[in-house]
Amino acid sequence: MAATVTAPPATDGVAKARPEWLERAVAQALALLLAIVIALALGSVIIVLYGESPIDVYRAIFEAATTAKDGPAWVLAAATPLIFSALAVSICFKGGLFNIGVEGQYLVAMVTAAWAALHLGGVLPGPLLMWGVLVFAMLGGMVYAAVPGVLKVKTGAHEVVTTIMMNGIAVSLVAWALNGPLKYTNAPAGQNVDLRTDIFPSNAKVPELGHLLGFGPAPHLSWLFPLAAVAAVIVWFIVKRMRLGYEARAVGASAGSAQAGGINIGSVQVKLFLISGALAGLVGMQQILSNNASSTGGGYLPQNYEATLGFTGIAVAFLGQNNPIGIVFAAIFWAALSRGESILPIETEMPREFVIILQGILIMSVVITYTLARRRLDRRQTGRVIAEEEAIEQQEPDQPPPTIQEVTA
Amino acid sequence: MSKLGFAVSIAFTYFTIIYLTGIGGLFSERSGIVNIGLEGLMIIGTVTGSFGAYYFGTKLGWGVPAGPLMGLLLGLACGAAFASIHALATVTFKIDHIVSGVVINLVAVGLARFLSTIFFGQATQSDPGQPHLHVISIPLLSKIPAFGNAFQGLSPVVLLPFLIVFPVWWVLYRTRWGLRLRSAGENPEATRSLGVAVAPLRWEGVLLSGAFAGLSGAFLSVEIVNNWREGQTLGLGFIALAALILSNWSPIRLLGAAFLFGFAQAIPLALRDWPIIRSIPPQFVNMTPYVVTIVVLAGFIGKVRPPAAAGRAYEGTTT
Repeated sequence: MAATVTAPPATDGVAKARPEWLERAVAQALALLLAIVIALALGSVIIVLYGESPIDVYRAIFEAATTAKDGPAWVLAAATPLIFSALAVSICFKGGLFNIGVEGQYLVAMVTAAWAALHLGGVLPGPLLMWGVLVFAMLGGMVYAAVPGVLKVKTGAHEVVTTIMMNGIAVSLVAWALNGPLKYTNAPAGQNVDLRTDIFPSNAKVPELGHLLGFGPAPHLSWLFPLAAVAAVIVWFIVKRMRLGYEARAVGASAGSAQAGGINIGSVQVKLFLISGALAGLVGMQQILSNNASSTGGGYLPQNYEATLGFTGIAVAFLGQNNPIGIVFAAIFWAALSRGESILPIETEMPREFVIILQGILIMSVVITYTLARRRLDRRQTGRVIAEEEAIEQQEPDQPPPTIQEVTA
Repeated sequence: MSKLGFAVSIAFTYFTIIYLTGIGGLFSERSGIVNIGLEGLMIIGTVTGSFGAYYFGTKLGWGVPAGPLMGLLLGLACGAAFASIHALATVTFKIDHIVSGVVINLVAVGLARFLSTIFFGQATQSDPGQPHLHVISIPLLSKIPAFGNAFQGLSPVVLLPFLIVFPVWWVLYRTRWGLRLRSAGENPEATRSLGVAVAPLRWEGVLLSGAFAGLSGAFLSVEIVNNWREGQTLGLGFIALAALILSNWSPIRLLGAAFLFGFAQAIPLALRDWPIIRSIPPQFVNMTPYVVTIVVLAGFIGKVRPPAAAGRAYEGTTT
């Protein structure tokens, strides 16, 4: 049997071709570069229409993120929630699932984490409290992500729509928690305090990292950033080295073939949603457990919490090509652009919102160039397979096809 | 003044917003393009509509009704223009509809502030008290004892859903264009095989979704709030999406779904004195549209079926 199905000697055309992985990597890099050029060019048009100099604006953004005092620490701190969020999106995406419910999952997780921080102090001594809070955040995210996962598997309800609805519910849940069970009790008498929870005990908070690296206490960088990097490695390991990751990729590539191959699709999808929810649960920790980069200060859950991190995670996941390590760099790049928001009105005449528009153009062009590049590669691949088949036919025109006995022997 | 009547009059306002945006989503999804960017399209409608009412009504002194009408039209036009990004991405470049919709929503927030800085010199709101259309009272209905206040002091735009429901139905189900639009959303290959180009139909569907969502946003800022404020859409674009699903993508059933969800929004505002309402946290009433939609989607009540090809790129030739 072996003799009849050994690969034919490669023809000249096939031998000259670069290895497929290299071709893909080059195509992706070119697509990314092209997308950045397009985004900068379209951004320049807006800047010129606004009456500013593109070079000045881009230089201001770049310097704010790199050379400015505390710039790099600010960028890493702002990248932290985006890494968790994008990882949560990407692991579902590997299995062909679109979890746009990361937004709702991290909002609910902030509530469960705040509850743990305020109520478990007596049970968990010292630094254990912080770990307990993180576990409760992950559990909150998992429970909330399990709902669309189970509904998808049991009833076929599409996860995109159910997670959109779950996001809407989550906003109300946070508002209810802040008005009810978690409403502050220790506000200074006679003062009008914005709605929030009580202040967490200090050992519930994640220690700072910034001053260790010489950035000073101001920039809010915490140990959550290294944790996010570790999470990226873990996700990489799950996807590339574990059975679940293999099954997820099989389901994502073709659910029908995966099922025919004996994979329990429902079980894989629910597991992916649970892991995704656990990652999503950590998205909000930077803003409530550290002296965070936004205006809210940290150490409690405020009414004006930072929202839309779940949606931004989708953009970052695509910028990072759904690759866990790529996501870390994509999140840092995204945060570096965001750093420009605070600097633009000071250094230039551009409104700070220009950065959001630039990010939007960037992600749109990234998705378009990636899609076009992938389609081109797929076409070339198809062409190559056809060429190989033709080569086989030409070489062995008289060879009869293998009989069933030969194949099964 | 009856509380229930007051609740119904607020419900009419929400109903109008949800219905107009939902009709937008209906045109897009019937053509095969999923549009979760409705919220973002509405946001653009709010800021540009408010600018139109201020610029034409106050600055140029066109007064009422020309000023507010120009505001509504500007919101409609800018909504359609912004939706062209979604059409370009999903129809022409065939990227994932959800990704594009998410980007639309993210960018709309920044773009609205950017435009507001240019229009009003401040990023998050315009000056209050901009011109709006004269309010109307519905004849006869407004005379109903103890309930008539539901039909008094309404913006005339509230009548719009009732005026367009039949034309929309007629266009979708009784014209050649409507048949082709629906076929593009059900089976684009078959559409193409009959010699009808899919891409233009889908472009039209998406542009219409932007026009209706933009008009809906402009109605909110021009007619209801009388100025632009950041975040005033309050996720109503997503509620419109929920109503669209509950209606099973039908313009007629959307009337009922939009009113149901509009009433759910009005309950905590208008009926908070009722003992039974007071015992329920208002946030739980606010989340009812989402819960109902999940329950319906999961098939626990009834069954809904989206257009078969919605969300799927048509890979064939675009000419």
